[in-house]
Amino acid sequence: MESQLELLQGTLDLLILQTVAFGPAHGHAIARIIQQRSEEVLQVGHGSLYPALQRLLKQGLIVAEDGLSENNRKARFYRLTAKGRKKLTAETSKWERFSSAIARMLAPLPDQNS
Amino acid sequence: MNQQELRRKRLEDEMQQHIDLETQENIDSGMSPLEARQAAMRKFGSAPQAGDQSREAWGWLWPERLWQDIRFALRSFRKDAGFTVVALLSLMLGVGASIALFSVVYGVLIDPYPYAKPDKIWAPAVLGPNDAVRGWHWYTQRELTEIQKLPAFADTMATSVKPVMMTGGINPENFYGVFLTGGAFNFLDVKPLVGRTIQPFDIGPGGEPAPVVVLSYGYWQRFFSGDPHAIGRTITLDDVPHTIIGVMPPRFGWWTNESFWLPLRMDPKDPTGLAVIVRLAPGVTQHAAEQQLNQLNIRFAAERPNDYPKGTLRTILLNYMDITVASGDMSQSLHLLLAAVGLLLLIACVNVANLQLARTTGRAREIAMRLAIGAGRGRLVRQLLTESVLLSVVGGALGVLFALGATRLIVVLIPPDYVPNEARITINGYVLLFSLVVSMLTGILFGLAPALRSSRPNLVDTLKDGGGGATGTLRGGAMRSWLVVAEISLSVILLAGASLAVRGFMQVQNTDPGFQPEKVLRIDVTLAPKRYPTWQQRNTLDRSLLESVTNLPGVQAAEIGNEGLPYSGFRSPFTIAGQPRTDGRQVELALVSSRYPQTLGIPLNRGREFTEAEIESGMRVALINESAARLWPAGQDPIGRAMQIDGLTQAADDPQVLPAPGVAASVTIVGVIGDIKNDGLGGAVFPAVYLPYTMFAPPQRELAVRTTGDPLALVNAVRLKARDLDKDLAVGKPETLNERLSQETQQPRFFMALFSAFAGLGLALAAIGIYSVISYNVTQRVQEIGVRMALGAKRGDILKLILLIVAKFASLGLAVGLVGSLLIERLVRFQMFTKTSFGAAPLAVIVLLLAAVAMLAAWLPAARAGNLDPVTALRHEA
Repeated sequence: MESQLELLQGTLDLLILQTVAFGPAHGHAIARIIQQRSEEVLQVGHGSLYPALQRLLKQGLIVAEDGLSENNRKARFYRLTAKGRKKLTAETSKWERFSSAIARMLAPLPDQNS
Repeated sequence: MNQQELRRKRLEDEMQQHIDLETQENIDSGMSPLEARQAAMRKFGSAPQAGDQSREAWGWLWPERLWQDIRFALRSFRKDAGFTVVALLSLMLGVGASIALFSVVYGVLIDPYPYAKPDKIWAPAVLGPNDAVRGWHWYTQRELTEIQKLPAFADTMATSVKPVMMTGGINPENFYGVFLTGGAFNFLDVKPLVGRTIQPFDIGPGGEPAPVVVLSYGYWQRFFSGDPHAIGRTITLDDVPHTIIGVMPPRFGWWTNESFWLPLRMDPKDPTGLAVIVRLAPGVTQHAAEQQLNQLNIRFAAERPNDYPKGTLRTILLNYMDITVASGDMSQSLHLLLAAVGLLLLIACVNVANLQLARTTGRAREIAMRLAIGAGRGRLVRQLLTESVLLSVVGGALGVLFALGATRLIVVLIPPDYVPNEARITINGYVLLFSLVVSMLTGILFGLAPALRSSRPNLVDTLKDGGGGATGTLRGGAMRSWLVVAEISLSVILLAGASLAVRGFMQVQNTDPGFQPEKVLRIDVTLAPKRYPTWQQRNTLDRSLLESVTNLPGVQAAEIGNEGLPYSGFRSPFTIAGQPRTDGRQVELALVSSRYPQTLGIPLNRGREFTEAEIESGMRVALINESAARLWPAGQDPIGRAMQIDGLTQAADDPQVLPAPGVAASVTIVGVIGDIKNDGLGGAVFPAVYLPYTMFAPPQRELAVRTTGDPLALVNAVRLKARDLDKDLAVGKPETLNERLSQETQQPRFFMALFSAFAGLGLALAAIGIYSVISYNVTQRVQEIGVRMALGAKRGDILKLILLIVAKFASLGLAVGLVGSLLIERLVRFQMFTKTSFGAAPLAVIVLLLAAVAMLAAWLPAARAGNLDPVTALRHEA
């Protein structure tokens, strides 16, 4: 059970990194993007996004900056750091090998393009 | 903290905003606002949990978790009130007794002195080839100046004690004044409470001491009620007004804590013995210093052969920490008591471990449930450990409270003669640190084992099984039984030790002292030496005093002299006429008057007493005790024979002590009296020689009076008689011989009282422990008992079953304990001052007692089990 959790956690981190690689995004936007792309495959509770964001912040893979959301409210935007990008690249190749085995059994994942 | 609050707030805002955005999106896609919000929250999941997990990523959570654990622990303790009370009680008594005893050990043995670096102070002892160390050596002033020149020593000081008459008050009073060299206070390095200490300039270039005095705290309180304006006032000592220059703090007791310190007159011709102590120069080893001093001692011995041992000299520097009054009996007692208290603490720990184990086993289902719903093992161990540490910290705090009372009690009980003047027995920082470490260690060590054990259960079995039940395979069951064995054996050892202490005390208490101490008063009488400058004058006064006291109503017999009353004594080498001289052999000398044997109640076995004429002129005759009579070969009657006593010529050198005309070392024995236990009640009798008191006329005498009524009622009458003769005659320190005798037993009494108290506590704790474990075991086996009864077992069978199991473990524990006690007795015996062994009877009593405790502890739950209704029992789920 614990190993499964571990996997999920690592996956979520990777998904977040991947999402913010496109450009800075706030928490809700990240959740929406992940959700839109993988809704049927990954049941990510929106709540569990925040612990993952804090974890990545602490590891220095992303940084947070204040900005305005689409409804003109103050929001925290997360942006990938150089370290985060390096980590993403490294993890992606690892993940690709792993996911290719599972990809056939699950709904199609978005193409890797970084 | 602020930073944390800020982060927390920001995170909450962010999550709130997330939900708001989601809600807005839902509304946009056509939901009603309420629906939209609910859907958003559903999607988000548990916001508090997300918050917690987010904060955990930063490690912000542990104080919260700790607080959570503590609250949980408190709740679970409240649920198990019985367990909590027993565990806390065990810890309180175990830790409390350890703290109390450690306070005593710290105050008496580890840090008894206020002096600067007391472990760097050395006192020289000079020994002959075969001598054992008996104390330090006394040097003369001329020798002191030579010692001071030795390069091995960085600093030296010398002390000499002399009686000093204080006059000018209501009554003249005799004190033992402590005379010090000019640098002595700087050597000891203790700040005065008020004023200043004696300095080198207080002794003039010609060796003349300034008439100044530094008061002890005790004297200052007694005569000046602690008035700081006492500085600058004068007190008359030996007819000379002395200016008070300072008062020392209460914890300064260099050779006295009730009189005063004076500068020493430096006079190279003064033969009075000085106690010299030294500090070594930097880089000088003890061995090198001993070598240097030994060279000097060899020279001194050539000049003063009578005062040095014969043969090849050895010089030893004794560390000051090793020659306190507490070394010897007290130190040994305290070490043994420390061991006893260690056993007590161990029993307490076993109790706590036992209870923890029983409790965690009982909670197996709860723990399994928590593991099953996802609690991490680390988290669970932390929770259980929090409980243990919380328990031990609270137990430790209660222990400190208990120790506060216990320490006060020990201070009351501790014999003052065996504790240095300066020792202060209190619970200080070190002691508290010790107790903190002890209780934390107890908690962690004895909490961790059960915690680790219970966090690794087989979940499925534990959940399926009713927590034990008919299979009877209990986790921790075997371990708990072994703890019972340990507890019983520890109690046996502790009780056996206590029985030894009690026997030792009884032995001393029942020892025949050799004299009849009832109804005998002793009192000091001191005359002003300058007013009685001749031997004749002093003797006339002494004789008149003795006569008038003898004639008081209610007096059966009276006696005057020096060193003749028990537990004093002056020792001297001797030679028996016709025998070769043996080095190292000594006799005890006493000066007595003719009614000495009657006054003390010592039988005259052979020969005769002193005649009045012999007393009158201080003739060289002697009574000896039976032990001294055995110095002559068997069959040789010592009466009429002569012996040489070196001490007689030495005493004649003292200017304070006026010898009778024609005093010489040789005396003729006229009679043999019974032995008295003159070397302590536990020890062998020392050979003693009694001489007519008139052989010497010192300023101070000791008067003993056998009365028909209460001896202390006579004190005033004696005072009045003394005042009639001379109003400046100081009369002091009245005491009955019974009081003196009880001082001899106070050390074994103290040891016995404390050891028995610890053993009693140990027994009580073990009984509680045994009871709780056995009754717990029975409760766990209720289902099994139900099955047995359903299958036809009778009440008696159930009782027998349980009692048999207990008997098995109890007898194992007793056997281990007995073997342990015998082993320990062998180790301890040779250093125990009582020199007793166990004897079968006390051991049998101990075995019966513990067996009874174990059986009683088993009987109550067993009887309860026997009364169970089989149906209820079968349904029982522990």
